[in-house]
Amino acid sequence: MSSKESCRSELRIAIRQLSDRSLYSASKWAAEQLVGIEQDPAKFTPSNTRFQRGSSSIRRKYKTHEVAVTPIAGVSYVATPVMEEDELVDADFYLLAKSYFDCREYKRAAHVLRDQNGRKSVFLRCYALYLAGEKRKEEEMIELEGPLGKSDAVNHELVSLERELSTLRKNGKIDPFCLFLYGLVLKQKGSENLARTVLVESVNSYPWNWNAWTELQSLCKTVDILNSLNLNSHWMKEFFLASVYQELRMHNDSLSKYEYLLGTFGNSNYIQAQIAKAQYSLREFDQVEAIFEELLSNDPYRVEDMDMYSNVLYAKECFSALSYLAHRVFMTDKYRPESCCIIGNYYSLKGQHEKSVVYFRRALKLNKNFLSAWTLMGHEFVEMKNTTAAVDAYRRAVDIDPRDYRAWYGLGQAYEMMGMAFYALHYFKKSVFLQPTDSRLWIAMAQCYETDQLRMLDEAIKCYRRAANCNDREAIALHNLAKLHSELGRPEEAAFYYKKDLERMESEEREGPKMVEALLYLAKYYRAQKKFEEAEVYCTRLLDYTGPERETAKSILRGMRSTQSSFPSMDVEHFPP
Amino acid sequence: MGGILKQPGAFTITPHKVSLCILLKIYAPPAQISVPYPFSSVAPHNRLGLFLLALTKSCDDILEPKLDELIHQLRMMSQNWEASWVIDQLMSRLSSLSSPDDLFNFFSDIRGILGGPESGAIEEDQVILDMNSSLGIFLRRSVLAFNLLSFEGVSHLLTNLGIYCKEEFSNCPPYEEHSLDDSSSNLETCSEYENMDLENFVYEKVSEEIEARKEASEVVSFHLHTPNTLLSLVDDVDLPADSVSKQSEKVRVASPYGDPSSNMLRDVDHSGAVFLRTNWQVQGYLQEQADTIEKNGSAVSFNGLEIILRQLQKLAPELHRVHFLSYLNDLSHDDYISALENLHCYFDYSAGTEGFDFIPSVGGNGFGRYEIGLLCLGMMHFHFGHPKLALEVLTEAVRVSQQQSNDTCLAYTLAAISNLLFENGISSTAGTLGSSYSPFTSLGVSHSVQQQLFVLLRGSLKRAESLKLKRLVASNHLAMAKFDLTHVQRPLLSFGPKTSMKLSTCPVNVCKEIRLSSHLISDFSYESSAMTIDGAFSTAWLRNLQKPTGSLVLCPDNGSGNCSNVSQFTAQPTSIPGSVLQVLGSSYILRATAWELYGSAPLSRINALVHATCFADASSSSDAALAYVKLIQHLAVFKGYKEAFSALKIAEEKFLSVSKSQILLLKLQLLHQHALHRGQLKLAQKLCDELGVLASRVTGVDMELKTEASLCHARTLLAANQFREAASVAHSLFCMCYKYNLQVENASVLLLLAEIHKKSGNAVLGLPYALASLSFCLSFNLDLLRASATLTLAELWLSLGSSHATRALNLIHGAFPMILGHGGLELRSRAYIVEAKCYLCDSNFNVFEAYEIVINSLKQASEELQLLEFHELAAEAFYLMAMVYDKLGKLEEREETAASFRKHILALDNPQDEGDPLVSVF
Repeated sequence: MSSKESCRSELRIAIRQLSDRSLYSASKWAAEQLVGIEQDPAKFTPSNTRFQRGSSSIRRKYKTHEVAVTPIAGVSYVATPVMEEDELVDADFYLLAKSYFDCREYKRAAHVLRDQNGRKSVFLRCYALYLAGEKRKEEEMIELEGPLGKSDAVNHELVSLERELSTLRKNGKIDPFCLFLYGLVLKQKGSENLARTVLVESVNSYPWNWNAWTELQSLCKTVDILNSLNLNSHWMKEFFLASVYQELRMHNDSLSKYEYLLGTFGNSNYIQAQIAKAQYSLREFDQVEAIFEELLSNDPYRVEDMDMYSNVLYAKECFSALSYLAHRVFMTDKYRPESCCIIGNYYSLKGQHEKSVVYFRRALKLNKNFLSAWTLMGHEFVEMKNTTAAVDAYRRAVDIDPRDYRAWYGLGQAYEMMGMAFYALHYFKKSVFLQPTDSRLWIAMAQCYETDQLRMLDEAIKCYRRAANCNDREAIALHNLAKLHSELGRPEEAAFYYKKDLERMESEEREGPKMVEALLYLAKYYRAQKKFEEAEVYCTRLLDYTGPERETAKSILRGMRSTQSSFPSMDVEHFPP
Repeated sequence: MGGILKQPGAFTITPHKVSLCILLKIYAPPAQISVPYPFSSVAPHNRLGLFLLALTKSCDDILEPKLDELIHQLRMMSQNWEASWVIDQLMSRLSSLSSPDDLFNFFSDIRGILGGPESGAIEEDQVILDMNSSLGIFLRRSVLAFNLLSFEGVSHLLTNLGIYCKEEFSNCPPYEEHSLDDSSSNLETCSEYENMDLENFVYEKVSEEIEARKEASEVVSFHLHTPNTLLSLVDDVDLPADSVSKQSEKVRVASPYGDPSSNMLRDVDHSGAVFLRTNWQVQGYLQEQADTIEKNGSAVSFNGLEIILRQLQKLAPELHRVHFLSYLNDLSHDDYISALENLHCYFDYSAGTEGFDFIPSVGGNGFGRYEIGLLCLGMMHFHFGHPKLALEVLTEAVRVSQQQSNDTCLAYTLAAISNLLFENGISSTAGTLGSSYSPFTSLGVSHSVQQQLFVLLRGSLKRAESLKLKRLVASNHLAMAKFDLTHVQRPLLSFGPKTSMKLSTCPVNVCKEIRLSSHLISDFSYESSAMTIDGAFSTAWLRNLQKPTGSLVLCPDNGSGNCSNVSQFTAQPTSIPGSVLQVLGSSYILRATAWELYGSAPLSRINALVHATCFADASSSSDAALAYVKLIQHLAVFKGYKEAFSALKIAEEKFLSVSKSQILLLKLQLLHQHALHRGQLKLAQKLCDELGVLASRVTGVDMELKTEASLCHARTLLAANQFREAASVAHSLFCMCYKYNLQVENASVLLLLAEIHKKSGNAVLGLPYALASLSFCLSFNLDLLRASATLTLAELWLSLGSSHATRALNLIHGAFPMILGHGGLELRSRAYIVEAKCYLCDSNFNVFEAYEIVINSLKQASEELQLLEFHELAAEAFYLMAMVYDKLGKLEEREETAASFRKHILALDNPQDEGDPLVSVF
């Protein structure tokens, strides 16, 4: 990794250049990273520590192994020369246009810059035109919603922009920012391959534009595409890779990349949030919660990614924390899809599904492609027993992102609710294919196979076995495996799984009817096997419990004793238990 | 998503509708006398009116014509200066609409041309639009839609108007849209308008309106089954439909996937933009495509349709039917994975409530109709040859439709299950069906598959009858007939010793069932359907305007013989739906099969001919191919192989891409028989192996093919005099047929066994087989097979010694009427030869007195055998003839026949290919 100091100076320049071009979110991102770079202890001043406290404490708490902060061997970064700004001929016009732009008067800004040829001016003009078109498109989309969902709202500026930018590129007069814009235009037009090449050109010549990286990421849908990209190795590429890995569900790769980046950007909120996201996908809810608590204490008005935090709170059923979070984001900015989702989650947790649907709808109104809202709304409809609507919502989620295993799972669940178990299997298979390490999915599929209509028990056993191998938290799989085997008349396998289940319950110190069932089965099994000692052990353990099983255990014990003493050769079966 | 969906079919005002309003204003300017200014007489004025009527009919969103198209159409309407005046007016008025206020004024002006009920004092000759006429309603709707617009809407309309006009002026294609070229150059239309006089017109206009309204309100099932309509829709050039289809077919066959752009882009342009305008039209188009796929799946170009569908989906994301179409497309091109995806996608979105014409209108239960999805999924698995999966899914469909009390779907599902059982001969369904379908569980007895099938068919038939699903009833009757044809009916619950076992299929039953199914056409009534015929209707509207009405009835038959007028009638929206025709067609095929089995060759041939001529356009390609197969088989049996092969060539060309297997099977069969007859055993063996390869297909096992392959194998072995091997093959084949209850095959295999024993010289062993075969034939009314079994029996008796000659002769004479009336060349000549042999063996027979009888029949036999190139038997006939001549002392004739004998024997010993074109194919 290049030294912290050089990163810092690169970022400082980049932030200025990005905000000169009104690429706000990119400059925001860059600024966050700039502040996220850990200070050298030498220059340690109290005023700089504000952003550092929390995140480092998380790391102390959760770092199980010391991550090598030293750079990976063989990686050397290309020093990309910082772009030099050309002299503006008509700086005054540019300033006027920039202020118009900042007031969101895009057309006006473009008009001011109509005859300017400076690279900065050209970019700002094109970008202003693009944004004007986008804004108009959004408006039209609402104005013109036709029947059958027809909406032919298009960005009317795209054609002329494409023409201009492509000639610029042909003449070699294009700068990285215009390349980025060109990629954006191409992506909207649907020519993805060209868009990819253009964006790669852009990031190779100017790596600090995070917007370009995100656009590139959205065009990398498979690992193969990712590997085919010809990217210069710059430290920004590490950020990109980490993010792409996450998108491609290579969570562990992504986590290790982020850990590595933390070596330089130790205080970056962004990285913390991304780590939380990866941990969330790995279902490490406690860690996620801790990270978000720290993040919120550092950055209390953050709305980004907070819906994920609410999901965690939902899963842990923290009513008050969730309501507090909802209140907080609501006060910060109520018209963000994230805030609507959080409120929807809260109502859902309270069991008020109609209200939560209202909020998910609002989130979707704000952003039609807000994936998790579709899925969550599907869950709500399932709760409300409105399966048709649920199926529809899930399907839309799946169409937005075919890799959303939750929606596939939801589809399966909805169909299973309708008694179409066989039909549901198709969807379960899909979800399991996408997320083979999630035991819940396997269990759901197994239960689907187990339903009265299908009774495909062998397949169910296979699924449960997968689930048991996937760190099944609720320990359903082992128990059901044991039960299925005993149903199918395979006592040895059944005993094996009951024993495993028992061990597990012992280690987790859980008690309950399952424990009793396992003990009873094992006792009977060992008695039938004539291994009376083991049987006795289980029977005596059963004596600790109340209920009919205790009596059964007693009678088994009595039977065994009498067998052992008087009729050692007699078959045990002759004694009624 | 329940609540967010917008109501489809909302009437929105568009630039195109504004132009229509302008045209209406030109058509009926306020306060003008009878014929307004530009029009010199009534006729052109009326023409404009009709044109407008057609345009308003086809106005309903999705895709509307551009201004230049409209102008083009206007020009087509008439070519004199009036039209150009109208166009000029239109353009100038359009371009004068330059501010929102102009629009407001325009729409308040336009109300003036409507006659109101209260404006009593109308002057005599004034042109006024009736408020309630089609045009009037259109105008009122437009005004209303405009008044409902918000200001944003108005400004949008204005912008769009600007674009609409600019496109015409600059004529540059807009971004991301196809340009529309060569739309139509149809000039003949004028004649129709010119010939129309006033009285006629007024009447016509009224009646047309009435008709239109009637059509719109009526619920008509939605089917359009003619490729010709489609072709005439797509191809504006007035080529004879047949040649066009042939041309395009050839192109597609040549490169089904390569370079789709040239051919398909044309398709896209035509159907995607020019003709698909309204909501209903799109639906109609999709329906048509679905029917084409169903009829002739692989002939539809995969990519072409896919492009269109993608375009449609972009235009109308909520029109989920598109997914169904792409499912069908995938299905017909054997793309399992994406078919599965699309099917699931369709049912997820539509919940099965969109566009199925057999659903009675849904009474608003929120559940959706996912059971239809199951039904389709089951059929898909069936199609791809996964009978087990299909059965699972269909069982679930039965359960769910019972839960949802969707009796219609249940009936269809039962029909599908019985079809599945019928086709696949699954040896055991216990466990899958038993648990779910009540009759079995309530009986508590395990039945054979056949019995289950019977119960299913009955159940399905009953349901269909009580639900008045005519088409299903008909096809169920057909299935029953098929069942009767091939299975023994016995009482379902036959306990105890010797309950009366009625072991027979009755031809009367079969015919009754078949007739019941074809009653369909006489009492075909419109089933209630979710979709009306509106789409097809409005598609037909524009066409009908441009076509002289006469041509619809008098279709010039261009000699192909297969393009019948039936299809022309179906082009009319009110005619018989294609699916009905299809069911009817397959009833004819079934009849042909029935007669074939019962042994009446002429009747079988007639039925196949009827199908090939009358239903070729309406039936599915596999049915059509089957009809051809039957005809060719008939030719081979009655006219010899030469004719059959030439006919086969024609059929192969016709069904090149379609249902290859049927034609291929026939070809292999024919070649095999031919080779056997000519003694080319090696070739026969090779062909036999090919058949075996066909039979072991990956996509499920076809029992019919399998039996055919082993039959051929046994025959080949027999011809090679490997009796033991032949007998063992035939024996195992019999076991298989018995296991799967293939009764007809049972009889013929037994007969084959008898033949084998006869040839090996074990007449005594052969006798029981022949007798068993006879009894099978008797109980199944297989008359022709019975005759040939009798013949074999006679041969067996004869080979036991000359003392049995009279008995044999009696047997033959008993079978003669059947053999001569319906038998093929081979059977007949065999009968002649055996008869001659019987006479010759008979000690009472005096050769010198009655040699004529013997010689005549032998001559007949030898002639027919030469046609068949059946060297072995022909040699035998000539040998016998030579012997007779020798006895009689007719030396000259003797030498002649002996020479022929020699020729055939030589040919048999040195089999050679005489450059047979079909053999060289291999």
